[in-house]
Amino acid sequence: MSKPNFVSKPNFVSKPNFVSKPNFVSKPNFVSKPNFVSKPNFVRHAKWSAAILTLALLSLSATLAGQSSSASSSPLPAGAMQEKAAEACSACHESRIIVQQRLSKAAWTKEVDKMIKWGAEVDPKDRDALIDYFSANFGPDQPAYMAPRTAAGSASQTKTKK
Amino acid sequence: MIVRSARFLDLETPVEFMTGWITPVNHFFVRNHMFEPVEIDAKTWKLSITGEVAQPLTFTFADLEKFSLHSVVNTMECAGNGRSLQNPKVPGIQWGKGAVGNAKFSGPSLKTLLEKAGVKDTAKHVQFRGLDQVPGKVPPFIRSIPIDKAMDADTLVATKMNGAPLTAHHGFPARAVTPGWVGAASCKWLTEITVLDKPAEGNFMNPGYRWPNNPIKPGDTVKPEDTHSLTGLTVKSLIAAPSDGTKLKPAAHVVQGVAWAGEADIAKVEISTDAGATWNEAILGKDQSKYAWRLWSYNWKPAKSGDYTILSRATDSQGRVQPEAPAWNPSGYLYNAYDQVKVHVQA
Repeated sequence: MSKPNFVSKPNFVSKPNFVSKPNFVSKPNFVSKPNFVSKPNFVRHAKWSAAILTLALLSLSATLAGQSSSASSSPLPAGAMQEKAAEACSACHESRIIVQQRLSKAAWTKEVDKMIKWGAEVDPKDRDALIDYFSANFGPDQPAYMAPRTAAGSASQTKTKK
Repeated sequence: MIVRSARFLDLETPVEFMTGWITPVNHFFVRNHMFEPVEIDAKTWKLSITGEVAQPLTFTFADLEKFSLHSVVNTMECAGNGRSLQNPKVPGIQWGKGAVGNAKFSGPSLKTLLEKAGVKDTAKHVQFRGLDQVPGKVPPFIRSIPIDKAMDADTLVATKMNGAPLTAHHGFPARAVTPGWVGAASCKWLTEITVLDKPAEGNFMNPGYRWPNNPIKPGDTVKPEDTHSLTGLTVKSLIAAPSDGTKLKPAAHVVQGVAWAGEADIAKVEISTDAGATWNEAILGKDQSKYAWRLWSYNWKPAKSGDYTILSRATDSQGRVQPEAPAWNPSGYLYNAYDQVKVHVQA
């Protein structure tokens, strides 16, 4: 039996992977500090959490702020289809959902066709180029995507009344 | 928290946080398929029960609060937890190890509400729908659970999590909690309960959240008719400490973590510090409850400097053993291979 394919490095070593600078359209209402209450084991986490807090919040803020201007905060790589990919996908989700994938061309083809069925606006003449763009940039041989971290439990944007 | 996606919001708990029995709400993973609701007012929120019932009913939040609270400590895990560790890679949120948490959920038993409406003999499944906002032509997140599980007293319409009202991320003001089952069976922002004479239909029942009827080789596909809906979680353990990649002194260390098995109990957790050549039993924590994970710890003093591969594997009360390699399925669900961290010991 083959050995499981484990992630070899702790995620928190890497810096958040954001490309563009944050564009503060509106400031998301984050929980300001992690709530490390009484568990001694959490204390050491608080140190690095605090250290990356600013970077991580900037990253997440950029993305959330980008809900109204998502193309400008897109971490999609340069390429002929960069803009069209951002436009087609960002109506429903941020680009991070794309850039974390490591898929074969066959799998990207299925995903693109599924998303078109689910409402992604892709000109039929762009479909093949879009699949090529995703396959070239987010194929199985690309290095693993390193996700950023943020403060514990960022606040929801849902307005609730009790 | 690890940001797998900010929109839709998908947050993962760092595995090194998993050193306590109850996961604090703000460290509990968040999984969304859609946009979270824009606004929910508990005073105007309603929960309907329709379908194969004698008397369709609608409850307000005030109505729900009149029912006695039933509490369940439940380890909730996203079916896709560990997807990023699958090989070959599969599409979906690339969860690491931490789309899992253990919390005390409280609320009326779903059974109590269903009995109030009078379940007909034709009832086979109970469907949930929440208030999450569906973008584009994306199919709504609608799923159902079999009537037997719905009528289990531990299946809840939960209004509280760890003793406090549900937060918006976790389904305010009420959510289904289907204990021991994949997280997708526990619909958030619950607003419609429909009793059906057959399983619900739609993307999130088929082809979503299904498992091959027979084992298939890594990379193989499977026809939908050769699959069945995911139900209970499988047996699994995680190593919370030491962290992967850590440098340790050649002194006494505590290897610790969590282990769970859905509707079954954890029988034992074994640890190997020599990449699987030998195994030793860990000590299980005292805190336990049906559906809840067990803490475990193992005292380890490395004999000499060098690189070590520490593995954990759990065995449950049904005799299921965490495998060396995960069972393959094309959506990367229920990854449960041995957990592993690599550490370097040096004076």
